Amino acid sequence: MENLLNLWHASGIYNVSPGQIVMIAVGLLLLFLAISKNFEPLLLVPIGFGGIMANIPEAGLAFSAVENALHLGGPEVLQSLASSLGLDSADPYAIKEAYNSSTAQAHTAAVYAANDAGYNNGMLYNFYTIAIASGAAPLLIFMGVGAMTDFGPLLANPKTLFLGAAAQFGIFATVLGAVGLTTLGLMDFSIQDAAAIGIIGGADGPTAIYVASLLAPDLLGAIAVAAYSYMALVPMIQPPIMRALTTDAERQISMVQLRHISKVEKVMFPIVLLMLVAMLLPDAAPLLGMFCFGNLMRECGVVDRLSDTAQNALINIVTIFLGLSVGSKLSADKFLDIETLGILLLGIVAFGIGTACGVIMAKIMNKMQGGNSINPLIGSAGVSAVPMAARVSNKLGLEANSQNFLLMHAMGPNVAGVIGSAVAAGVMIKFVG
Amino acid sequence: MDNLMSEGLSLMVFGMGFVFVFLTLLVFATGFMSKVIAKVVPEAPPQPARPAAPAAAPAPAGGDELIAVMTAAVHQYRKN
Repeated sequence: MENLLNLWHASGIYNVSPGQIVMIAVGLLLLFLAISKNFEPLLLVPIGFGGIMANIPEAGLAFSAVENALHLGGPEVLQSLASSLGLDSADPYAIKEAYNSSTAQAHTAAVYAANDAGYNNGMLYNFYTIAIASGAAPLLIFMGVGAMTDFGPLLANPKTLFLGAAAQFGIFATVLGAVGLTTLGLMDFSIQDAAAIGIIGGADGPTAIYVASLLAPDLLGAIAVAAYSYMALVPMIQPPIMRALTTDAERQISMVQLRHISKVEKVMFPIVLLMLVAMLLPDAAPLLGMFCFGNLMRECGVVDRLSDTAQNALINIVTIFLGLSVGSKLSADKFLDIETLGILLLGIVAFGIGTACGVIMAKIMNKMQGGNSINPLIGSAGVSAVPMAARVSNKLGLEANSQNFLLMHAMGPNVAGVIGSAVAAGVMIKFVG
Repeated sequence: MDNLMSEGLSLMVFGMGFVFVFLTLLVFATGFMSKVIAKVVPEAPPQPARPAAPAAAPAPAGGDELIAVMTAAVHQYRKN
């Protein structure tokens, strides 16, 4: 009978908390969206599954050794943890507080105490530490994105960089929105949180995760989920804004064919970009450095094997770990919060403002160049989200004029948006990091 | 709280300003790079096509000439 009782006490049903049930439901919802609605499945499948695993009661997959020891250990374990952190009382909350704010030395001592008691880091916690806390996974993904990016359309029409710049206004407007909500007392975001939320408007998953891991690790789960869900929603969010801001005549403008770009130019461009980053904004160097490296591997033509690995095998491996690590941050105490709602709301506003600013900038540039050379529809592609945003521009262009293929023209602002959001990320890290 | 708002405002102004300055410089740097490359490696794209054809022609021509010379030399040698 006692054994039966022990089994019951160790079961998930006995231990599950309402928050965990809700979070498992959220994980299932993400899986549903990914599998049946095809929403960024490459990321939402691992994120959703990781989220479910992180919320399995008593398994402690997403917790560190010390957190597991606190949760599962007996009084002696708590006592040894407390003494390792220099506390008198063995109150779990006090220990947790002390652990989170301890010096590196006390931190290590507490980890050893937990290890001695037989508790280890959860698997997802280890993934998170290696993949995201170290910054490695988002940067490797950025390298892969660089290896997949063709800068030809951008080099043929460098002015489209301005569209990529204008669309970043969404990021900064959202920062203002987040601090505004805090000022009104509706939410509680620090300036770091606000910056990390704003970067959702960059429509660039790896950049958003990288910035969030540096500025607001607590909000990372919500920010990553918002960023990737909205990227999947680009074909729904953007067209109404684009139609509202352009006239039918503007949408029909067809653009002259892009000039041919020599190989030398393509090889030199990542180096020029890297030099500019090195001179002006070293804080963006991790992101743009890896991006340029990936692109150089692609264009130089002598390391096809490396380029192939970066854009296929490696990016797939990293995506698995990145997704599971993000999922580990979907724990009930951090995600089930009014702030998550705020993040989802601000994220979509960021997207909308970014799209609108890109289109408006394209209209201004078109007016300045005589009114018949730039189709304002390509402006919306400035919000990165490669290549989805460019496809949306192309689709709307074809609707207005069935002979009007804007895809290559929209790829210019699209990759400019990637550079723009990485620069914006660097500025944020520099100013508030 | 007002402090936070002004922090947000300054982040917006500086951030947006910097993004524009950076990308404007990149526009100039890219344009400059393209011009320099166009001068240093003139008409790079059509070249591989055009010189490839003429270059392909002289090569066999040179080979023919060489063969002719060698045949002549061999004949000369055999005659002797």
